[in-house]
Amino acid sequence: MSETFAVSIDDVSKSFGAFKALNGVTLHVRQGEIYGLLGPNGAGKTTLIRAICGLVEAHAGTVTVLGQRMPNVPVLRHIGYMTQQAALYPSISVEENVEFFAAINGAEAGVKEALELVQLYDRRKSVVSTLSGGMRQRTSLACALVHRPQLLLLDEPTVGIDPQLRVQFWEYFRRMAADGTTIIVSSHVMDEADRCQRLGLIQYGRLLAEGSPVEIRAKGGSQNLEEAFLALAGRRAES
Amino acid sequence: MSGHRIRAITKRLLEGFRRDRRTLALLFVAPIVILGLLGYLIRGSASVPNVGVANEDSGPLGATVADSLRQSDKIKASDIASADGDARLKDGSLVAYIVLPADFSRQAQSGTVAPEVHLEGSQPGQDAPVIQALQQALIKLASQVAGRGVSFQPKTVYLYGGKDYDTLDYFGAAFIGLVVFFLVFVITIVSFLNERTQGTLERLMASPLRRGEIVVGYMLGFTVLALVQSIEVLAFALAVLQIHNHGSVFLIFGMEALMAIAAVNLGIFLSMFARSEFQAVQFIPLVIVPQFLLSGILFPVSSEPQALQYVSNVLPLTYAVNGMRDIMVKGADLTSASLLLDGGVVLGFVILLIAAGTTTLRRRLA
Repeated sequence: MSETFAVSIDDVSKSFGAFKALNGVTLHVRQGEIYGLLGPNGAGKTTLIRAICGLVEAHAGTVTVLGQRMPNVPVLRHIGYMTQQAALYPSISVEENVEFFAAINGAEAGVKEALELVQLYDRRKSVVSTLSGGMRQRTSLACALVHRPQLLLLDEPTVGIDPQLRVQFWEYFRRMAADGTTIIVSSHVMDEADRCQRLGLIQYGRLLAEGSPVEIRAKGGSQNLEEAFLALAGRRAES
Repeated sequence: MSGHRIRAITKRLLEGFRRDRRTLALLFVAPIVILGLLGYLIRGSASVPNVGVANEDSGPLGATVADSLRQSDKIKASDIASADGDARLKDGSLVAYIVLPADFSRQAQSGTVAPEVHLEGSQPGQDAPVIQALQQALIKLASQVAGRGVSFQPKTVYLYGGKDYDTLDYFGAAFIGLVVFFLVFVITIVSFLNERTQGTLERLMASPLRRGEIVVGYMLGFTVLALVQSIEVLAFALAVLQIHNHGSVFLIFGMEALMAIAAVNLGIFLSMFARSEFQAVQFIPLVIVPQFLLSGILFPVSSEPQALQYVSNVLPLTYAVNGMRDIMVKGADLTSASLLLDGGVVLGFVILLIAAGTTTLRRRLA
């Protein structure tokens, strides 16, 4: 019998006009796993994440999240979504932002814990527009996980933040995954890929390869993940 | 100063506009549309007001004046009995009626005529053609009363408003509503647009929130602000400017609130069609200016060219402005069919916009 997956994507295609953003993608993410979507800019990572939370409806194929076919509004209660840009309300404070996202998810009790997790509890009264880029990213992360989602979708969460903070973020992610949260994280930074348990390599809206970082290296025939990726991408282009 | 660098800035600016078709259209089309509309409104074959004439003169001269009035191109005169006059003003079928009294011919012979002019009076600009037509008729009369001058002392009676009303009293009623409508619209359209450009709308859509909840939540938030603003505007208009009011303050407030809610929903709906604050602000000349010209604030709808009257009759602001005047100038209450119609139309518009806003929200994010 098949394993229960937190996210199942089966032969999903999505076009915007003549542009095929997703072209028959199939992938499965296990519960409590950190799954990395890896690929260059414009590969289809964001569209795939948006399809997972139902913001994009696939033209073909099915997306199943936590046992429910998407789009499905009640399931969204169990999903946390951190968008690429730190989507926050700039004129209210850090705490007010987190409180708002807690309230719409019915999880007011989690505000303090979320603020402490991203180490912004002391800065909770600061107005978002006065914060540095890194603090905004942290606030954004707090908003995405304040309701303790079962599935956390992170669209390039570490873009534009310093290495120290990046290490911290990955520390949070590991702890959450250990507690059973499934995490899908997109990135075009290869050194982040090694921190994921499994990877999906995406290019031109297609899944090039899937597996653990070790498996991907083997498939690409290189100890360097970046080279392995380029080799796999080249092979696909030839075929 | 480097001419090269300045030229680079100018070139960059014009290149940006080249790709923003909508802004170009606004720059070159909107002025023609607005000026054309204004020209047609003022110079177009305006509809002339309906005026009743009650000739009670026992002598021959009343008939002469009534005849001149019928031939006037400034008004559309019809014979009525003076007893019916007020009722016809109230039901809106006449904007004025003129009574030529039983001793009118004798008055003319003695040198001073005093016809009665009864004016509906709730809308500025409606009376001028009536007075002009009467003056022309009386000048013609003077030429027929041989040998002596005739002076005119018309007795003017207002059904609504009156001599102690000034321009502000007439415009004030309409403007109280307009100010709220306009400002609330601008704030809503820009805020809702921000929600999308800063990415938070995407987050909301990925939460368990329903689309309807977003629209209604927004509506309530802005409505709270709009209502506070309405109270302020109303208090200023009545207490400081001392604009005449014959109606209930609560009814005025109710009408203002309806307009504010309509403006909020119009803002939410139209924000879906703008990609930047710049484009959002462009809706002002497109949405607000034509309504301002055609809603009867400046020119009575009944005096507009017929083609524009059809347009005026489908604009929500026309009903809102009419409703405000019904309350403040005419003292209408909830037993007034006209006020109920005005309120009903504005309410219907609100419901339509809530539905439109919710539907568009879904479509734009798919």
